[in-house]
Amino acid sequence: MKDLLKVLQTWEAVIGLEVHTELTTLNTKMFCSCPVEFGAEPNTLICPVCLGLPGALPVPNKAAIESIILAGIATNCDIEQQTMFYRKNYFYPDISSNFQITQGPVAFCMRGWLDLNITEPAASEREYREGTTELPASYASSGYTTRINITRIHMEEDAGKLVHIGGTDGRITGADYSLVDYNRCSTPLIELVTEPDLRTPEEARLFLQSLRQIWLTLGISDCSMEEGSLRCDGNVSLRKRGAKELGTKTELKNMNSFKNLHDGLAYEICRQADVLESGGRVVQETRHWEPASKHTVSMRLKETADDYRYFPEPNLAPYDLSDEFVAEVRSRLPELPDEQRARFMEVYALSFIDASALASDRDVASFFDEGMAFAAAQAQELAKPFTNLLLNDVLASLNTSGHVLAETKLTPAHLVELAQLIAKDTLSSKQGKEVFAHMLKTGEAPAQIVEKEGMQQVSDTAALEQIALEILKEFPDKAAEYRSGKTGLLGFFVGKAMAATKGQGNPKLINETFIRLLDGE
Amino acid sequence: MYLTEEDVREIAAYTRIALVDGEVTDLKSDLNAIIETLKPITQYDLSGVEPTFHPIDGLSNVMREDVIKPSMLRETALALATSTENGQYRIPTILGEGSNR
Amino acid sequence: MSYSNLSIAAIRAGLATRQFSAEELVQDALNTINIRDKVIHAFIELCPELAYRAAEKLDAALSAGEAPPLLAGATIGYKDNMNLEGTHTTCASKMLENYKSPFTATCVTKTLEAGALPLGKLNMDEFAFGSSTETSYFGCTHNPWDLERVPGGSSGGSAAAVAAGMVTVALGSDTGGSIRQPASFCGVVGFKPTYGVISRYGVVGFGSSLDQAGVFGRSVANVAETIDAMSGKDPLDCMSQDAHAVYSSSVGAGVKGMRIGIVRSYVDADGISPEIHNALEDAISKLESLGAVITEVELPNAKAALSAYHVIGPCEAFSNLSRFDGIRYGYLSPNARNLDELYEQSRAQGFGAEARRRIMLGSYLLSSGIYEQYYLPAQKVRTLITQDYHQVFEQVDALLTPTTARTAFKFGEIADPVSMYLSDIFTIPINIAGNGGMSLPVGLGEESGLPVSVQVIGPQFKDENIFRVAAALEACYPDIARIAPDTSGTQQASQAGGSAQDSQVGGSGQSSPQGESAQASPEGGAA
Repeated sequence: MKDLLKVLQTWEAVIGLEVHTELTTLNTKMFCSCPVEFGAEPNTLICPVCLGLPGALPVPNKAAIESIILAGIATNCDIEQQTMFYRKNYFYPDISSNFQITQGPVAFCMRGWLDLNITEPAASEREYREGTTELPASYASSGYTTRINITRIHMEEDAGKLVHIGGTDGRITGADYSLVDYNRCSTPLIELVTEPDLRTPEEARLFLQSLRQIWLTLGISDCSMEEGSLRCDGNVSLRKRGAKELGTKTELKNMNSFKNLHDGLAYEICRQADVLESGGRVVQETRHWEPASKHTVSMRLKETADDYRYFPEPNLAPYDLSDEFVAEVRSRLPELPDEQRARFMEVYALSFIDASALASDRDVASFFDEGMAFAAAQAQELAKPFTNLLLNDVLASLNTSGHVLAETKLTPAHLVELAQLIAKDTLSSKQGKEVFAHMLKTGEAPAQIVEKEGMQQVSDTAALEQIALEILKEFPDKAAEYRSGKTGLLGFFVGKAMAATKGQGNPKLINETFIRLLDGE
Repeated sequence: MYLTEEDVREIAAYTRIALVDGEVTDLKSDLNAIIETLKPITQYDLSGVEPTFHPIDGLSNVMREDVIKPSMLRETALALATSTENGQYRIPTILGEGSNR
Repeated sequence: MSYSNLSIAAIRAGLATRQFSAEELVQDALNTINIRDKVIHAFIELCPELAYRAAEKLDAALSAGEAPPLLAGATIGYKDNMNLEGTHTTCASKMLENYKSPFTATCVTKTLEAGALPLGKLNMDEFAFGSSTETSYFGCTHNPWDLERVPGGSSGGSAAAVAAGMVTVALGSDTGGSIRQPASFCGVVGFKPTYGVISRYGVVGFGSSLDQAGVFGRSVANVAETIDAMSGKDPLDCMSQDAHAVYSSSVGAGVKGMRIGIVRSYVDADGISPEIHNALEDAISKLESLGAVITEVELPNAKAALSAYHVIGPCEAFSNLSRFDGIRYGYLSPNARNLDELYEQSRAQGFGAEARRRIMLGSYLLSSGIYEQYYLPAQKVRTLITQDYHQVFEQVDALLTPTTARTAFKFGEIADPVSMYLSDIFTIPINIAGNGGMSLPVGLGEESGLPVSVQVIGPQFKDENIFRVAAALEACYPDIARIAPDTSGTQQASQAGGSAQDSQVGGSGQSSPQGESAQASPEGGAA
């Protein structure tokens, strides 16, 4: 297979995404009062409406409409106050009425955008950056900003689930028969469609990640790619660099993780380049990403004519939302990740990288904000050490344990306290790590741990000088070598002093003391 | 004439209705006769007229609160179906023999 | 003693004073059905158990000193596209031959809560596609006034059951005239309220923007009381509205000073039978003599209503009927080797010819490119027709029009779909516009001996106007027969009106492969 970066030298990839998000935080389905729930026994969350029984009628969930409008506001969309539902007619066993209720030409949310800040290493996938802007120098990171336009976000209902029996790996091909579970049928679903504004698989991946953070911040979905509540399809085509006309696109499905989205698109770009460079033509088709074998395969389904007989759903009244309705939804808009990052940079003087990292995880960001509230007057000075603890020690421990922040015994107040002890040199950073480990295990306050374990850092200058002098006396040869230029031996002396203080000596002071004693004479 | 026999076959396929021999000819003439009666619609001057999709003037924004109501018993639902297995609806192979997919 | 001809008010009073019990009412009705339905074939299914259970409950309540509710003791039948738990909902189709709904339609529930006694499910055109009840999978229903004639359709069973005195009232649904046309053919009162007055929840959809449930009865008052019981906002139907009206109180309010519109081009329409023309002229003069102000009005766009209807109806029906594929319920073709065959065989075998035709037509009309030629213009025509009615109802309080151009036709007389479609020309426009309308019998034709009716139409959500006009007119014709004479010959073989003899039932017959008894007998039917 070709190398992506090389392919992108000759070819420009044009990528658009379709992102489906189930509104899993709602209580009930889109058009009936059955619960929205993952993992229930098959066909236990169904009723005449979502089962499409004769005579049943849909009634829209108001909270779902509010959610999509919130999503539209958060992604800079125009909110269409006058819109309606349509029927999309097609036969497939996972939709119970053989039509799906969705929206027509005018969706609740139209013409939005998101700005993506792409830093290294992701930025290096894009060498040609026309239409983008460099990150400001103040960000102290190299990379670029690119605007991804959003065509629309519309409201629809999800389909049920099929299980294929008798084939290999549950595939539809070769299956003897299939089983249908309608629990998921009519779960509220929003579909976001981007313009083909993405140029690299990294941009696609970061777009989806940003979107996921926004949806999580809004609280409209749990956005679990594993459970399918966040799903992404990609459209990708190639054109020669500098060409205006779009090439033939393929649609890519089954990219059920961020990595798969990236790798699937990267593979498909290279595959298309192969086809084109060997004189072939790209066939417009739907292809399936196979993560195990790392390639895409044509779904080989006969493409049914793309005529869904759309028409306005006669059972549902149209929408003519009032300004007040939209304003009320707007008033619920929380601080979004981008705004949060900007605030962290401005208020706490954090770097772009640190602030982005904090803001990219809703739980981490609110932990940070709570910590800063405890730090109160000292917030400015503790922000950086606190951030270091949070982004390094805390996240590393979460990675290892597989827990989320809320499941640990850590509290923002305790972590601020720890940051404070380190900032004041009461603890060395090594001691800090030990205290942190205790905190994770016991949930005790750092001060308590320090006292119990006798971990106060020795910062008594006179005492440290005494210890240093003794060490120099013990190793006169080494002292001589140092003085003759082998300054690397400083570490050796500091190590001896740390051992002598059982690790509680203030390494910074010890350092200074040796330098003074060795150089000063 | 609006529809050819081929058109009729395509429409039948789209609506998932198998046609029996000889039915196409009758359907073609019936459907064409009906479509002929719809002509007035195509000849009406409708410039500047907005469509009315819902008959109740001014009715809009009908929604319900997000409150759970009990679902059906699975047995009740499945009892309506001819073919079920393990609490699910059983359908024959989607891509099997004779499939036009 | 027969209670067939009692009004709802009389039944209520009789129950209150213990002249009879609800149980006796059920017994009597089942007897009547047993005799008359052999030749009329209005019922697809009887539900005596449900009826007796309802009667028992009602009798117990009355014994406990409770006042009889609004529809106490009224025997009732439901068109077989209305769900009633414990009975089948076949829509007169092989597709749903064995389908029993696990839930009850809101309008049905409301009649039951008001004390009505459910006797069974009534025949109809398959999925309500038709104007003669000849497309039923379970065979035709015969017009009680002349067994060789159709009862009209699609709610033919409902109209016939009321006309034959088998039930006090019956419910039907009206998408393009399916209540008013059979009411007219069978000489009973048939009322389609304004779209939204009656919840559609649990009534199997045909044309969802056109469908409205309504009532058949032998008097305007019976219909008004039944509508009073059924109307009201239902959270399960987005289109359902609180009409804030008590229709029965409009009965008897009189028409003095009311402005009543007539459409000259309707009254004098080509092809309108002289009997109906004369009946209209007579009704106009009677209303005038009662103090109504008769005004001539125009409905300039009504001429496009028929074609608009035959675009909108099939389009919505095509989509509504997609759900019938045999997977979750309904007819499943055996031996399908794969999913495609399952769909295609089940639907080809489960749907009758007219259903298949309308589904295919609707699918064609919605296809891309064609949508813009037919569906969109049809919905624009709808705007114009609606505006016509808005303008007319600025000038008048109600309209008087024909219901149909002619009286009931014979079986097989109208064979091609296009001519059949034309039989709804006076009823269709208000389904397009959403207004309410009532067909009111004004006597038997001098020549035909068949029921002749007129139609009263009101402004949207002002159906009380219809009741005022209809009740006033009804009072002008006190002598018209309320129940078609029994010509079955099984009991006191009767005389007047009809011509059919005992054994020679029906003309075309279209005897069904399964027939009525297959449906009716498992419920322990009296039929």
